[in-house]
Amino acid sequence: MAKLILGIALVMVLTGLGVGAIGAALLDNDPFVALPAVHIAPQAVVEFGNRSNVWDFGQLFSGFTITNTLISAWLTTGLVVLLFGVGTRSMKLVPGRLQGLLEMLIEALYNFIKGVSGERYARAFFPILATMFIFVAFNAWMALLPVYPTVGFKADGHDELTTHLLRSAATDINLPIALAIIAFLFAEIWGFKVHRISYLKEFFRGPNPIQTFVGVLELVSHFIRLISFTFRLFGNMVAGEIVLGLMTFLLVFLVPIAFYGLEILVGGVQGLILMGLTLVFTVMAVAPHEGHEEEHLAAG
Amino acid sequence: MEAEAGKFLAVGLAGLGMFGSGIGLGILGSGAMNALGRNPEAKDAIVPNMVLALAFTEAIGIYGLVTAILLLFVA
Repeated sequence: MAKLILGIALVMVLTGLGVGAIGAALLDNDPFVALPAVHIAPQAVVEFGNRSNVWDFGQLFSGFTITNTLISAWLTTGLVVLLFGVGTRSMKLVPGRLQGLLEMLIEALYNFIKGVSGERYARAFFPILATMFIFVAFNAWMALLPVYPTVGFKADGHDELTTHLLRSAATDINLPIALAIIAFLFAEIWGFKVHRISYLKEFFRGPNPIQTFVGVLELVSHFIRLISFTFRLFGNMVAGEIVLGLMTFLLVFLVPIAFYGLEILVGGVQGLILMGLTLVFTVMAVAPHEGHEEEHLAAG
Repeated sequence: MEAEAGKFLAVGLAGLGMFGSGIGLGILGSGAMNALGRNPEAKDAIVPNMVLALAFTEAIGIYGLVTAILLLFVA
């Protein structure tokens, strides 16, 4: 029985190789799956008004574009809100299945945050950080549904879809930029909240020039986080999308399943990384200077 | 040399940058494996720090990848 399944799997893989890009190139046919069209910018689905130049602030209110990544982000948000709403609707002390599942997720995230930040700050840090993880991870996982690459619009004269209706939200560079700004502001605001104005002492240090240079490096490294967070998430999501499309193009049957598994892992890891790095930077920002932090923390 | 050829050469060169990231990740993994081999009970101290360092190192390679992708599809 196992040999039968293995045999069928082998036949499927070989058929896929023959039917896909490699066979098509050797035999001069059309490949079974079309070459994936890679778009870096998100595609507009509905356009209101007329905004010819996004950077022209005079046109700020003259139009609005709904892109496919925006629709996808709304869908994910709606799904998460629905999930948590239904799960917490008649909450019981001994949870049912959905509530129990959600409690597992929340508890795992809370323990992770508590492990890094300590008991004192865990409850304060938890809401935004857990939401970042859930948003990024669910966006990445939702993009693996077969609805995403198949539903869309065809412009006249094309055989394949030109505009998809839904697209993984983090492949639009605006979402990683927004999350990076939120993460940056989260760390800095907590630093100012706990240390008040002497948070700036971290950047403008010491009598000797080496200390001053270290302070300047600290300042630069704080701002570099904006860029590194953005491109980490954006690069992972775009590369994942391209890899999936290309693997389906080359090896049509069965083998792309392994890459879907990789994408599930990458989506979860990127959410965890975003949350974990923001957490670590915030913990470093609120970490007490040697000596006189108790007064700050008692007041704040 | 035509402009198209230059562009594709540039894409390949930009992708070469991921080389360093791969080696860095391997070094990290090797250090973590060594540490775990010496002291398997320190798993809770080693593994989260390793994952954090993996994220930083991976990000550098991703910058090279993003440069290559942008060159290929946008430029």
